Amino acid sequence: MNKLKIFVVVLVAAISILLLAPAAKEGMLSPAGAAYAQDDWKKEFEAICSKTQDSAALSPDELNNLVDRCNKLRPRIEKLDETQRKVYLKRLQMCRDLFAFVLESKEKK
Amino acid sequence: MRLLKAFLIGLMFVLCADMVAARRMIKPSEYGSVTIRSFSHQAGLAPVRFDHWLHRSLYTCRLCHVDIGFAMEANATRITADANIKGFYCGSCHDGTRLHDKKIIFASCSVNATPEERMRCSRCHSVGKNVQKEYNYASFAEKLPKGGMEELIDWEKAEARGLIHPVDFLIGVSMQRQPLNAQKDFSITSRSTWMPDIIFSHKKHVMWNGCEVCHPDIFPSVKKGVVKYSMLQIANGQYCGLCHDRVAFPLNECDKCHANPVQ
Repeated sequence: MNKLKIFVVVLVAAISILLLAPAAKEGMLSPAGAAYAQDDWKKEFEAICSKTQDSAALSPDELNNLVDRCNKLRPRIEKLDETQRKVYLKRLQMCRDLFAFVLESKEKK
Repeated sequence: MRLLKAFLIGLMFVLCADMVAARRMIKPSEYGSVTIRSFSHQAGLAPVRFDHWLHRSLYTCRLCHVDIGFAMEANATRITADANIKGFYCGSCHDGTRLHDKKIIFASCSVNATPEERMRCSRCHSVGKNVQKEYNYASFAEKLPKGGMEELIDWEKAEARGLIHPVDFLIGVSMQRQPLNAQKDFSITSRSTWMPDIIFSHKKHVMWNGCEVCHPDIFPSVKKGVVKYSMLQIANGQYCGLCHDRVAFPLNECDKCHANPVQ
């Protein structure tokens, strides 16, 4: 019975190592959270800034929502490395400014 | 009194001729060229000469000034070799892997460059050097339509005739956008009675620039009549003058904007 237990434990350990080794090699283990989070901010960035194209057709509520999303995303981009931070903060600011501009134009009408 | 009048008229002619001559001093091949010298000196390299004519024939303004993030003012981006190596700014395209016309686009910068690689530096870091460039303006411009006093390339006509196809999307850099709903063209009343009103084509501008190149930074209001544009401001590089007379067609091609016949 003991032999069987040892065999099962060793088997489980071996399978775990086999499954996790490639992932670790690709850096998915230790900075896994970071990689996922990075993907996450970029998806949000793209979701927001892809709306600039049709910003004039958006309602004030939608524009307000986009401005809020820009404001929320900003601190996450500020945590990136210097180059990414510089590039994406500028791009985000351009999107935010446009939404705010369109919103203001609509409110003035 | 007559002598004074004649003198003043003569003086005006001389000044106008001087202005035209000064404008003519810019060769078509140098029109829109930008010298980038942010960190070149520290790196022991010559400043970069960026040829707008070459790049704008391939890519829209928005691709570079929105998606890649180049500022609209020379040297304001503060491009570093490190950023290029990481795939930003020039390195967005010049990464040594992307293709253009079935050829690999050369990588912009590299760490610990070999002597051979350093030869490549001068393709961009070329100010003050006698560099044989791969693309030659004269042969490039030969088949493209030209216009105006300076015989500059008429990019709008070139695109309309299918001679250039500026790309608006860069994989990994640009984001998928909805198809563009072009805004309507509108007229702007000329401030001079003798000058036709301006017909502003939103369609033409939006196709190449998107919205965020112009709004709100360059044009902070869309309400008609709120901002009074003057030619003096424009000639000083404000509003339309940020692009026109620098990269886009020059201000002496009056009829391109003042296109509405006087009623």
